[in-house]
Amino acid sequence: MSKVIANIRLFFQGAVLSYIALFAWFRPSQYIATKVVGPLAQILFFTLMGKFGTSGESADFYIIGNAIQITALSGIFGVTFSIAGDRWNGTLPYQFGTPANRMTMFLGRAAIHVIDGIFGVLIGFAWGVTLLGLDLSNTDPWALLLVIAVTTFSTSGLGLLLGSLSLITRNVMFINNTAYFLLLVLSGSNIAIDRLPPALQAISNFLPLTRGIASARAIIDGATFREVRPAMLEEIGIGIIYIMCGYALFRWIEVLAKRRGTLEAM
Amino acid sequence: MKPGMLKAYIHVIKLAYIFTLKQSMTDAFILFGIFVQPLLIAIMALFILGEQGDGVVIFIVVGSGLTGLWDSVLFQSGSSITRERWTGTLEVLVAMPTPLGVIVFGKNLAFVTQSLGSMIIAYTCASIIFGYPLSVESPSLFIVSIVLTVLSLVCMGLVLATLFVLNPDMQRWSNGLEFPVFILAGFLFPIAMLPQWTTPLSYILAPYWAAVALHMSSSGKPDILEISLPWAMMMLLGVLYLFLAFWLFRKMLFKARVDATLIGQ
Repeated sequence: MSKVIANIRLFFQGAVLSYIALFAWFRPSQYIATKVVGPLAQILFFTLMGKFGTSGESADFYIIGNAIQITALSGIFGVTFSIAGDRWNGTLPYQFGTPANRMTMFLGRAAIHVIDGIFGVLIGFAWGVTLLGLDLSNTDPWALLLVIAVTTFSTSGLGLLLGSLSLITRNVMFINNTAYFLLLVLSGSNIAIDRLPPALQAISNFLPLTRGIASARAIIDGATFREVRPAMLEEIGIGIIYIMCGYALFRWIEVLAKRRGTLEAM
Repeated sequence: MKPGMLKAYIHVIKLAYIFTLKQSMTDAFILFGIFVQPLLIAIMALFILGEQGDGVVIFIVVGSGLTGLWDSVLFQSGSSITRERWTGTLEVLVAMPTPLGVIVFGKNLAFVTQSLGSMIIAYTCASIIFGYPLSVESPSLFIVSIVLTVLSLVCMGLVLATLFVLNPDMQRWSNGLEFPVFILAGFLFPIAMLPQWTTPLSYILAPYWAAVALHMSSSGKPDILEISLPWAMMMLLGVLYLFLAFWLFRKMLFKARVDATLIGQ
């Protein structure tokens, strides 16, 4: 019992401390630029381009797609930086040296970013409603919130996998940014999935966000949560798969690092 | 300025240019900004705007290339002095007899010219992968527009580089400045779609006039009078940016002497 309590404590302490550590250099002004102004500009850019284009999608298509995709800022960048931060700050050897439960520590790195990601998406929707006239009158708010939470969870799963990769590469910014922009292309946020070539549709099917964005559009269109539940269960499954892959990579790096005596697998 | 001095400055610019170019090619984040991001934006734009017909494709190639140019100015040129602070080489550069601005000019020139690669990548992608027939309608006007774009953006980068050092909070805002300029400069849609009050903001941005000149010369056959307005605006803004940068460099170095530090923030 005491072991369970110790793990729960470790999870929450690790979650809060890693988030605080990230913001030791990440100032509030940077937070506002990245999480408030940046998402607004991204939503505006793609919505205006969509209005200029004639692909047949409505402005709401781009507003909803980009608002949900904003969760990747926390899920990909935030989570990856939290894990990579241990390497940059030289705390990775202590982490590998501690007897603490690895899974608890690993998951703790993403916990606050999930909450932060949900908050970021809500900011995106607030911009959509106030500035771009997104109509939420047919929307079940709790169903939408649940969809946002599930999508943020699965995206953070991908973030945990990329975070583990950041321990074996110096090009973490390249990986993060490429993943972020690939999600913009392949998740259905700006291009309807059925317009993608079959090979890309298949890739899209294995990505987080794809089902989340489709479900959010359906909910805003008046669907109930029951109707999108199968897609949400799959989204959770995808998130778990990414987490397990990330964790397996993390443990493999630890074993390899200890065997080689490099501790950073580099 | 003595003629010999000018020759020496050009030599320094050339060396800073070559060194920065070589160094950049080993930085994956820079390569992302030049090649990957503009390519992915081009692909999205091809899906979103592509149904307007083949004529819009060169507009997309130029517009997505411009996103790469702006990213390079914002993230690379803007950090060109800050990065010297991080690596501890700024003191050495400041102590040199060559003015710091000359060295930073060479660095920024490298950042901006290498980001022209994003247009080449977008062009290759659109013509080879998507099979669109592509041609620049007025090649000679396009080349002049490219040269003026590069020079005006280099000058803009000098302003950003000094501003980011003088006020680190501004640099922290750089993430939030990427898409707003994509929008205000009308890279991939006309600024007529924006509220009227934003138009003056577009007019003071060299990237806006660069987009006007490049779109005009790549998608149509403008007469020389028509294209001379964006060219003149790029030259005017380039000179204004240069004066502003000169003043900011003096202010920055004066502040460094008063505070007795080039490193602390």
